[in-house]
This record gives sequence, C-alpha cells and structure tokens, in this order.
Amino acid sequence: MIKVADVTKEFKNGKEVTTVLKGIDFSVKEGEFVAIMGPSGSGKSTLLQLIGGMDIPSTGRIELDGEELQTKSEKQRTIIRRKDIGFVFQNYQLLPTLTVYENITFPLHADRQKVNPDEVQELLKAVALTDYEKRFPHELSGGQQQRVAIARALIHKPAILLADEPTGNLDRERSSDILDLLSSFHQERGQTIVMVTHDMFAAGHADRIVLFKDGVIETEVQREDEDYAEFLSRFMA
Amino acid sequence: MSVKHSLLALLYERPRHGYELKTGFDELVQSMWPLNAGQVYTTLDRLERDDLIESPGNDQKDRKLYTITEKGVETLWSWLEEPVERSLLKDEFYFKYLCASHVDYEDKQQMIQAQKQTMIKDVLHLTQMKQQMNRSGNDTMRMLVEGALLHLEADIKWLDMIAKD
Repeated sequence: MIKVADVTKEFKNGKEVTTVLKGIDFSVKEGEFVAIMGPSGSGKSTLLQLIGGMDIPSTGRIELDGEELQTKSEKQRTIIRRKDIGFVFQNYQLLPTLTVYENITFPLHADRQKVNPDEVQELLKAVALTDYEKRFPHELSGGQQQRVAIARALIHKPAILLADEPTGNLDRERSSDILDLLSSFHQERGQTIVMVTHDMFAAGHADRIVLFKDGVIETEVQREDEDYAEFLSRFMA
Repeated sequence: MSVKHSLLALLYERPRHGYELKTGFDELVQSMWPLNAGQVYTTLDRLERDDLIESPGNDQKDRKLYTITEKGVETLWSWLEEPVERSLLKDEFYFKYLCASHVDYEDKQQMIQAQKQTMIKDVLHLTQMKQQMNRSGNDTMRMLVEGALLHLEADIKWLDMIAKD
C-alpha cells in the first residue's frame, strides 16, 4: 500500500544543507498499524509529510497503491491526498468557529462531496461524541477535540490514516482513550494507520514499531502471534 | 510470591477446604500465576504445624476444612504492613554488559540493540494483553500490566543512555 524506496530529504537554509532523511526504505501493507518512533529531529515527521504528499523527497520514490507521488504536481498530490489520506495532528487543528458536526464534515464540503448524515452519525457514535455534535471546539476537552479530529480524518473513508503525535498533548489516561480508538478502527475496520510518536506507550498499540535515528531506520520490531498461555508464562517467569 | 500469605488471606475471608483454596487462588490472580494442588497441600501442612490455621473438622463431603487462627491473622496483618523490597541494582543485562566490557567484546552496541528489540517486542505484546483485558473486563490484573509497561519504557530509555555512554 505504501512504499518508500531509497528516500532522502534535504532542507536548504542559505548555503547550509540539512539532510533529514538518508536513504529510507520502508513499506506498509494494507490494514497494518505502524508506529514510527525516534527522538526530535530524527526525520519521522518529515517521512509522514512525504507519505501524505505534502512535500516531495529530494531523491527516491514514494508510492501509494503503486502510484508514484514524487512525479506528481502539487495539485495532483492534493487530489490524491483528499481522496486517500486522512491526517490527525498533535494540536487537533479544528476550526474554532465551526461546530463538531461542521468540523467533521468540512473535508467533504471542501471536496464538494455530498454529506451522508447517517455516516456522520455512525462516525460520531464510533468516537463517542453523539451528544456533542452542536458544540464548538472550545467547549470540549483535549481528548474530545482529538476524537473530533479523528472523525474528520476518516469522514471521506481514506485508505490511509496518518497520525502525527496524536497523543502528544494528552495525559496518559486520555492518550489511552485515543489509542484505543485508533486500535478499534484498525482492528474492526481494517484501517491502515501510520502513527508518528516519541512515546513507547503509544507505539505499543501498533503491529510494528519502526525506530528512526539521525535520518535512518535504526531498527524495526514486529508483533508476532503468540499462544496466550505461552505468552503469560514468559512474562510471569 | 507468597502462597502462604495468599492462603491466609483466603481463609480470613471464610473457612475453605484445599480444593476451594486452589480455585480461590486462581480467581485472586486471574490464573496468571500457576499454582498446583500439591503446593496448596504442603503449604496447608506447614501453616497448620505453625498454628497459623486449624481444622474444625470435615465438611459434608468429608473434605478437611481450614480456618485461620488469631496467630494467623497477626501474621497476615504484619505481612500486609511490611513494605516490599525490590532488587533495584540487580540487572541481568547490565551484568552481561559488564562482562562484555571486561573481555573487550566488540559488539556491545549490538548487544544493546538486541536487548532493545526484545523489550520493544514485550511492549507490543503487553499492550495487546492490556487491550484483551480491557475488552474482557478483567480489571484485576490490568494495573500489573500497566506497571510492567512503565518499567519497560524506563528500561528502553536506560538502554539508550548506556548506548550513548
């Protein structure tokens, strides 16, 4: 579904060139939940922006379902992004003058798509905000605002959900709610998710953790299916 | 893990026979720690010998019943009051790492990396376990798993510190 091949990304500031990604090879299968971890400046958010088509790599290829992003114009990438990608950010990025319902349906209006009220209600129920549709963002807690942002990111049924530090502004309990919500979309609806986080607790909810360090992949760890009894005896030993 | 004190706690609740103590223990720890019937009966023998429990006789099905004595209650209470010591400065990996330094082992960074991968895998598995517990409404042992996850987070940060050192 996502293929990143030998990708580098440089940023120029005058004569100074900073290489943020140094030859990244990485892929995500359909229905996978992958967490990208690493310290600040390790390149993890830059990779997320490249996958989301918000920028293009300096060298290398990025494919979404076999379609190369780096050869597309900005306008073409925007069309792909609106169709295939949902974004969730650390600071929610809700529109303050719009209600919960209007925020969630905003991407459909922006893309001149018809709103199906039943689908909106179903999504509101999934994010446990059924009674909040007429509220404004400032009337909600941080965790509730992030749930609105998740619903907004999924309203157009994107193939891929990209989440950049989705629990970065939340305490552990609220983080847990958000991560359980993302896990339920992944497990029950097969949603493909790529999440950037610096938090091991958040990353543990994924199927696979990819660790970034200084612009390269340091290591990748995949969860393996284990027999529950064996699994217990290993932890209890 | 003190089988002795868990049996005293179960007998404090009410008199029970051996099999009930085994099932009571399994329920207490949600079957997460294995305990065989043999361990229950040898522990009961010792507790009876030390006057911490006694038997008022057999039940209708001729099974030997046990009750806690006053001395048993005192023992249980002082155990509950006593803080638990933890082996904070005993770490198997660090011991191995020290030995590696001693023999000029060249792949110490690889050792750290392999240890880190194992710990990350444990984070993935324990998080899954926590989610299963949430779904099944098993709140009793959830905090144990939460604690293990917090320890693992700290251990992974600690490995990064060793790697930089």
